[in-house]
Amino acid sequence: MADLQSFKCPNCGGAVQFDSGLQKLKCPYCDSELVISDVLDYETSCKKDGQDRFDWEKNAAPDWTPGEADRLHSYVCQSCGGEIVGDETVAAMTCPFCDNPVVMTQKVTGTLRPEYVIPFKLDKAAAKEALRRHYEKKRLLPKVFKEENHIDEIRGVYVPFWLFDADADADLRYRATRVRSWSDSNYIYTETQYYALLRAGNIGFDKVPADGSTKMPDDLMESIEPFDYSEAVDFNTAYLAGYLANKYDVTAEQSAERANNRIRRSTEKAFASTISGYSSVVPEGGNIQLANGKSHYALLPVWLLNTTWNGQKYTFAMNGQTGKFVGNLPMDKGAYTRWLLGLLGVFSAAALAVCWLWWMLTGG
Amino acid sequence: MKKKIFCLLLPLLLLYCLAMTAAAENPNRVVDMADLLTDSEEQALNAQLREISERQQMDVVVVTVDSTDGKTPMEYADDYFDYNGYGYGESRDGVLLLISMEKRDWWVTTTGRGEKAVDGAGLDEIEEDMLSDLSAGRYADAFRAYAERCDRLIDGLGFNWPLSILISLAVGLIAALIATGSMKKQLRSVAPQPYAGNYTRPGSMNLTKSSDLFLYRHVTRTARPKESSSGRSGGGHYSSSGSHHGGGGGKF
Repeated sequence: MADLQSFKCPNCGGAVQFDSGLQKLKCPYCDSELVISDVLDYETSCKKDGQDRFDWEKNAAPDWTPGEADRLHSYVCQSCGGEIVGDETVAAMTCPFCDNPVVMTQKVTGTLRPEYVIPFKLDKAAAKEALRRHYEKKRLLPKVFKEENHIDEIRGVYVPFWLFDADADADLRYRATRVRSWSDSNYIYTETQYYALLRAGNIGFDKVPADGSTKMPDDLMESIEPFDYSEAVDFNTAYLAGYLANKYDVTAEQSAERANNRIRRSTEKAFASTISGYSSVVPEGGNIQLANGKSHYALLPVWLLNTTWNGQKYTFAMNGQTGKFVGNLPMDKGAYTRWLLGLLGVFSAAALAVCWLWWMLTGG
Repeated sequence: MKKKIFCLLLPLLLLYCLAMTAAAENPNRVVDMADLLTDSEEQALNAQLREISERQQMDVVVVTVDSTDGKTPMEYADDYFDYNGYGYGESRDGVLLLISMEKRDWWVTTTGRGEKAVDGAGLDEIEEDMLSDLSAGRYADAFRAYAERCDRLIDGLGFNWPLSILISLAVGLIAALIATGSMKKQLRSVAPQPYAGNYTRPGSMNLTKSSDLFLYRHVTRTARPKESSSGRSGGGHYSSSGSHHGGGGGKF
């Protein structure tokens, strides 16, 4: 047993030695005790650290059938450049993105034909009702904001979405500790056990959405999720009648980044949830690779209202299928100050009363 | 008619006032049996103690003796307090300092609110203030220091308005910020979705490797904190007359 292969201590990096008394490897620098087989496993796992890989196949969307695209007109807003698609029935109108009149029209050209569409399930009356409910029970909402709203201009728009399918292969490594404490008459002992946790496996994701329009704020579109894809149908121009459609201007490749991040975080979360029984768990490394990545082009129904108030633009969106309504609202600063000072007075008085009662009960 | 009522009420009022002052039955708060003080010192101390006692509604007394007649200083101080009518109110609130020249003992006995005002820490403060003067024989200075310290300790029983208001304002501010913060939060409903958990294919998760490798252990030890060695613990005791007393003492 003269000269063994040298191992580095995973705690401090020093060269470890065999302690014949303990019959274990022991680090002479930091007093850590090691188990040799586990240290070997851990070292091989560390060498496998690689890059995350997210590859997507090109999507194979069907082309337009002859004459189908002719029935659609593309409208370009001269004010903001937003491009919308509607059938011939769309007459004079205002841009749903910037609220200015749209005049220029052209034929639809060169875009992919959507694979799926989820038809609108909720009508304009439902959208208006949802907006009214959205204003309710908001104490700091300026009162005039409600009154000045042109609620009638809420509009149904089919928003282009890229839907990503993928299988994620994960090989992850965590560092965990387990802490135990006991004491004798003179000392309190704290033992920390260090573990390396290895988790590998795969998990599948279906239709992770990312909107394909620069006109739509990403966070707004993510806030009205989820859509129920079981109601999605194959695309047909007939569904566009009476509604507007936005053309995608962000390609699947460009949108994939956002879907990738969400898939990666969810994969990490799913595998981290298989760990239990430790005092602390810290991710240490590993990699996630995507396989069988596919993207689909779909139109999803959204009720939209753009409004400007005090020079600030406010956008409201409602999921046209589930009715989930979102949109940040302005705050009445005066009302905020009044509430803050009023509540400060009330809570302080209450706290003082409790102090005094406590003093009385403990017998001054 | 009014006059008549007043005439009836006046004696009652006087009687009530008399009763109030009579609550402290023993007006002599300096009993210098060991003759440690000059007459003028005794008068000054008595005036000081009366002023404190009446203002605080709690008897503050000094008793000096040559001998405790075979009793311990604690027993002697307790009994002296109980059998000489000291103490305000039903709980007989008071603080009594006994100096016994026999074995150079000092003892402070407390009752009622006095037990709360002069607790273990308070006794330590009294000891610190007066012990050097007592040892050096400057009894008048020692008793004055004792009286002043008692006055301040009894003040500590009162409701501390500035501190309470400060704490209440801080608590109120935090609570108000939390409440208005939640009102502010109601206005914001747009947030990015960091996860894709809604889109997990059901049952698709497959764990192919799951191993927990024990790497090493590390033991640290820290010395247990020692019990604090202050001998003056609370709780108190019952005197021969059956009343509850607190307090403590030592040598000088």
